[in-house]
Amino acid sequence: MSDLIKKGTVTLFAAALLLASASVVAQQLDVRTVVQKEERVRAESGEIDTRLVPADTVLPGEKVVYTITFTNVGGETAGDVVVSNPIDSSLTYVDGSAFGAGMSVEFSVDGGQSYATADDLVIAEGTVSRPAEPEDYTHIRWTLDGELEAGATGVARFSATVD
Amino acid sequence: MMLPATLRLRMAAAACSLLVLYTADTARAAGVPAGTLIENTATVTYELSGTPISIDTNTTTITVAERIDVVVTRQSPQVLVQPGETDRVILFRVTNTGNGDEAFTLAIDSNVAGSDFNPVPAATSIYFDTDASGDLSPGDVAYQPGDNDPELPPDASVDVLLVNDIPTGPANGDIGRTELTAASTTGTGAPGTNLPTQGDDGVDAVIGTSGGIASEVGEYIVADVEISVSKSQLVSDPFGGSEPVPGATITYSITVEVTSAGTASNAFVRDPIPQYTTYSAETIELNGSPLTDAVDSDAGEFDTSGDPAVVVRLGDLSQADGPQVVEFRVTID
Repeated sequence: MSDLIKKGTVTLFAAALLLASASVVAQQLDVRTVVQKEERVRAESGEIDTRLVPADTVLPGEKVVYTITFTNVGGETAGDVVVSNPIDSSLTYVDGSAFGAGMSVEFSVDGGQSYATADDLVIAEGTVSRPAEPEDYTHIRWTLDGELEAGATGVARFSATVD
Repeated sequence: MMLPATLRLRMAAAACSLLVLYTADTARAAGVPAGTLIENTATVTYELSGTPISIDTNTTTITVAERIDVVVTRQSPQVLVQPGETDRVILFRVTNTGNGDEAFTLAIDSNVAGSDFNPVPAATSIYFDTDASGDLSPGDVAYQPGDNDPELPPDASVDVLLVNDIPTGPANGDIGRTELTAASTTGTGAPGTNLPTQGDDGVDAVIGTSGGIASEVGEYIVADVEISVSKSQLVSDPFGGSEPVPGATITYSITVEVTSAGTASNAFVRDPIPQYTTYSAETIELNGSPLTDAVDSDAGEFDTSGDPAVVVRLGDLSQADGPQVVEFRVTID
């Protein structure tokens, strides 16, 4: 009986250790998302400039820009870094806007189950299929080509219009 | 024996062929509804010493503001009127093209620049076309400003009737205009004007490209063109006589003539084939020249799309054109 209790205690302790180490590991990458929109301002020269301002409220038709930043704040190199972002049903992806230095970009049209490059995506309609359009995209995925060394930062970005 | 025959002649004034296309409610033509929250969370996965790890970013939230926009379209063609007529109606449609629920005040103006005469708004001059008849009917509800301003969800529309009397003065061809204006009760102004917390659910409202106000003009045209129409028949029986017996042939002759000043535009004759008779193929003539039965480029046809009828288009007809004679034959069954 006392053996069993001991065993149980040890097991619980081990589980606590695992949780602790997991939370330490999770802090290896610091990630955050920022959303902005374009604002047109007339410069003193009379030219119209666009600049990005925080997007709190938007109108249908306005363009918003999402920026996802990830920084390796730990001491180890991180591998297989992949950023995925769903496209809200109220938004339409702006063709060609997804970008990330040193990252390859793919899209999903099936709710994130499968991904392919924009040129390879097709929509099946009955027995025929057609090339996917930006309005078909449900998710975007960026895959870092190399590894993310300690202290390094990566940025993934895309634009969408409010339907 | 008189065989039943009816003749209908329709005319429309010149330049009345304006076709108003209404875009039926399509999903989200007005955009994402005001008050919608658009949230976004990205997920980052990576591997550390062979252990796969997945973490979510913070969630961003943006709120869809209300855009205030409205469109007024005219649904009636140019309305033909006679001097002195009362309660003549022009149909308009007010559509909420914004993305929020919005109420609109309605106003009539019958002193529109460029008119030959000013129609006179009736005592009650704005009605909702409640029964969707396109005309003023007993069931139509009168508009009372501030009392029953139409409240429209995004993309929804309401049909509105403007009612005017026609003064006695205007001459044939004179045009009088009347204008319907719909203005958002939340606000109007320069596009882009921000109205903080004035939108649905307390979100910001922004004046759209319409300025939150829209107008459309409808036209009355005085068309006192007089037209005389007469129809005669000639029976020839198989025995060389003129008895209307089975097998006898009847030749109908319809004469149409403008007898006053003015032009009857797109005039046409449509004469159904009488009961107990059968149309004799390829017998239509206009002013002595044969017209084919087929629906083609010539001015007439034997129309079998509904009740069989002979149709001949006379075009724009004025007194100078003289009498137009349409003939065709039937046999008695």
